[in-house]
Amino acid sequence: MSQHQSILEFRHGRYFKVALLLCAAAIGVYAWHDPPAIYLKPYGGTWLGYTLGTIGAVLILWLMLLGIRKRRYRSNMGSVQGWTSAHIYLGFSLIVVATLHCAFEFGWNIHTLAYALMMLVIASGFFGVYAYLRYPEYMTANLAGETLETMLLKVADLEVKCKRIALDLPDEVNALIMNASKRAAEKTALGGSFRRQLAGVDPGHPMRLARDELLKMGTRLSGDQAKVQEQLVMEMTRIVALTDRVRRDLQLRAQMQVWLYFHVPLSFALLAALTAHIISVFYFW
Amino acid sequence: MDIQVVYVTVNRRGQSQRDQQRVAGPSISVGRGTQCQIHLPDPRIALQHAHITVSESGATLEAGSGRVQVNSHEVGGAKLAVGDRIEVGPYLLEVESPPAGVPLALSVTLAAPLAAHGGDGRRFTLRLPRASKRRLSYIAFIGTLLLCLLVPLAPELLGYPQTPSATAGPGRIDAAEPGRIEHVVRTVSTRLLQTWNPGPVSRAHQPVGADCLTCHAFPFVQVRDVSCIACHKTIKEHVPAAELKGAQGQAFRDMRCAECHRDHKGMQMAPYAQEQCADCHRDVKSVAPDAKSGKATDFRTEHPEFRLSLLDANKPDAIRRVRQGKPASPDMVERSNLKFNHALHLDPGGVRDPEGKRDASGVRDAQGRRTVLRCDDCHQPNEGGRLMAPVFMELHCQRCHSLAFEPKVTKRQVVHGDEAAIATMLREFYARLVLGDVPPDVNPPPDLPRMRPGAVVTYQERQQALKIADEKAKLVLRELFETRKVCSTCHEVTPKAGGAGWEVAPVRVAEIWMPQALFSHAKHTTEKCTKCHDVSQSKDSGHIAMPGIALCRECHVGARTVAGKVTSDCATCHKFHAGSDFWHGVLQAQMLPRGKK
Repeated sequence: MSQHQSILEFRHGRYFKVALLLCAAAIGVYAWHDPPAIYLKPYGGTWLGYTLGTIGAVLILWLMLLGIRKRRYRSNMGSVQGWTSAHIYLGFSLIVVATLHCAFEFGWNIHTLAYALMMLVIASGFFGVYAYLRYPEYMTANLAGETLETMLLKVADLEVKCKRIALDLPDEVNALIMNASKRAAEKTALGGSFRRQLAGVDPGHPMRLARDELLKMGTRLSGDQAKVQEQLVMEMTRIVALTDRVRRDLQLRAQMQVWLYFHVPLSFALLAALTAHIISVFYFW
Repeated sequence: MDIQVVYVTVNRRGQSQRDQQRVAGPSISVGRGTQCQIHLPDPRIALQHAHITVSESGATLEAGSGRVQVNSHEVGGAKLAVGDRIEVGPYLLEVESPPAGVPLALSVTLAAPLAAHGGDGRRFTLRLPRASKRRLSYIAFIGTLLLCLLVPLAPELLGYPQTPSATAGPGRIDAAEPGRIEHVVRTVSTRLLQTWNPGPVSRAHQPVGADCLTCHAFPFVQVRDVSCIACHKTIKEHVPAAELKGAQGQAFRDMRCAECHRDHKGMQMAPYAQEQCADCHRDVKSVAPDAKSGKATDFRTEHPEFRLSLLDANKPDAIRRVRQGKPASPDMVERSNLKFNHALHLDPGGVRDPEGKRDASGVRDAQGRRTVLRCDDCHQPNEGGRLMAPVFMELHCQRCHSLAFEPKVTKRQVVHGDEAAIATMLREFYARLVLGDVPPDVNPPPDLPRMRPGAVVTYQERQQALKIADEKAKLVLRELFETRKVCSTCHEVTPKAGGAGWEVAPVRVAEIWMPQALFSHAKHTTEKCTKCHDVSQSKDSGHIAMPGIALCRECHVGARTVAGKVTSDCATCHKFHAGSDFWHGVLQAQMLPRGKK
């Protein structure tokens, strides 16, 4: 057995089987059950509708308990890994349970609002699962054995080197490099705003701009100076490549966290909508 | 084959110190890892940054996972010579002239120490949105709860009195005008409350659909009948409650309207479920011991033959309900006292027609005196199209069946159906002729004595003349009723005892055979009349040409859909609220105020 076991494969996919069984049972009973004709078609108010609705509501409450369970470090009520595995699979099974509960009936009302919120929570959760399973791999590949810090140290080294090389070049080039370095140090917060971190772009990267500027100036130099400039461009490209990797790393990290900003608040909105749904249905029985 | 490595460091006083070591060859790795023979502990160095291999012929450098520059040129590998400067990250490795017996000597200097450019002020930590997940969650939860639950229920939660419309019927109407805030709260909450509606209300309920409380009068209680009966005041029971027995009968008596009638299911209110009818009609006698209806659970699979409601012309108050079936019941005969032969009238060769041909297809003989009759010559749908309108002598028969009393004398006819009026009319007609006043349309009969026009007559002569006229009228009346069989063509005519006139048996023809059925002719106009009513062999009026269940089943099936057939549940043909009692005995006056029951 490998050291690492994905939460999806927890106990040989125990909760996958549980969720699959739940979905299969729900679909089977739905297909079998013949609602009284006064309802015209299946709906949430038949015995099956109430049953599926109760299962769905209990599931939602339990799924939300993960937020509490994962903070209870001393609890020995199952492992957090197991809880998370069950959270994922049972969460997905809600799609089937809730859809059959409403019997494919949708409208502009709070009942469908609860359904829509649930689907959004599940969709954000799906992204979360994807991110947690895929992104560490991408991050490892992106870092290639380095860390964020070593990459930044290298950037700093390269900047020093660039400045040194630039000493041999005309003043305008030298000024360009000095400026870019200064601006990079002063202004740039690698990654930038949260939105920029998510997108993984930084159009105003001073070193990239300086390099592009330098390339435009390139043809005016000749002989040894041209060679030195070529080397300078190469070093600057390295800086750009390194900072791109840093940015990519930050992007992946941001994406791994951002979904929770949807998942958690939306599930609380869902909890409220669900409460309203249940109360409204029985208030006007 | 060892090589010599000298680590050059600078002490606190700025003096360089050389630490000379021997490293075992021939293969030497350079890197951050502790297993490397030339160990360069700096994060900017790769784990296995480069390799140096020494042999008899010299030393070669090979870049590993890190960048290596030899004499300021980036290389993947190089042969090393004395004086070469190798840049490995921040370290400078210089190839020195080796002492004897050693193939390679290197000095290692940390050219760019880490501290030299440590804090350059870069921020690279992950920035998260300013709002915390917790705060967002609170906002989402409270906001949704407010919009979806608390505001819609605000009038209830704030204890505002019910609006008059909510308590239908004898609702309380508050004299005080609602305040400004209350008005706003009510307006907003009413709007938001609409989002609770799970589906559109039925058409009939649209006028009251905007106010949930019209029907849902009691919170957390299923819709009560009082809410329904507030508007549906005249709704009737299915059968008298007293006839129902046992627990099932009790359950039926306690049934709520909403158990059959479900709203919010689209434009039509879902009316009923056939299973609910079948619950009792599977074995109706166990619920209502006196019930006459047969076992019925589905029109296609289990439904008794139809019962017809038959009249008896001689017993005006009696209605016979006779069930169809094979062999037909001897009672399955119409006792209308009318003589009528459908087969004769519908002879494909046509019937004699006093007015000659009617249309091209109706012409039969050279004189054009025969007409082929069609069903709709006599049977026309009534106003609603559901039933057939009654057949009238004057409208439908008399054109051929003339009531002319003496055709050679005049084309005038007697009235239909009133012996006294006929007698009077005849007396007056002949009296006028005898008295010498002959109208232009009359060809006076030669055997009738007449006074000369303009002659002065005595009283006795006039009395004599009127007596002659009376005699003639009596004769003609007898001819109509007896000799010429004008009346008895269609009617049962018997002379009264002592010559006091004639008795014409009263006629009662069924206008509706299944009075409780929801059948409509208008919905069956695509079929030919004869498809259901075969009268081609019907030679007397006792014969009943009503279709049986088998014929209906050619097109209609039960509640379960069958391809190519008309799905028909109980309510397709039957009325449920057809009894005489008010629904559950609940009258408007007995309705409970809101909050009770």
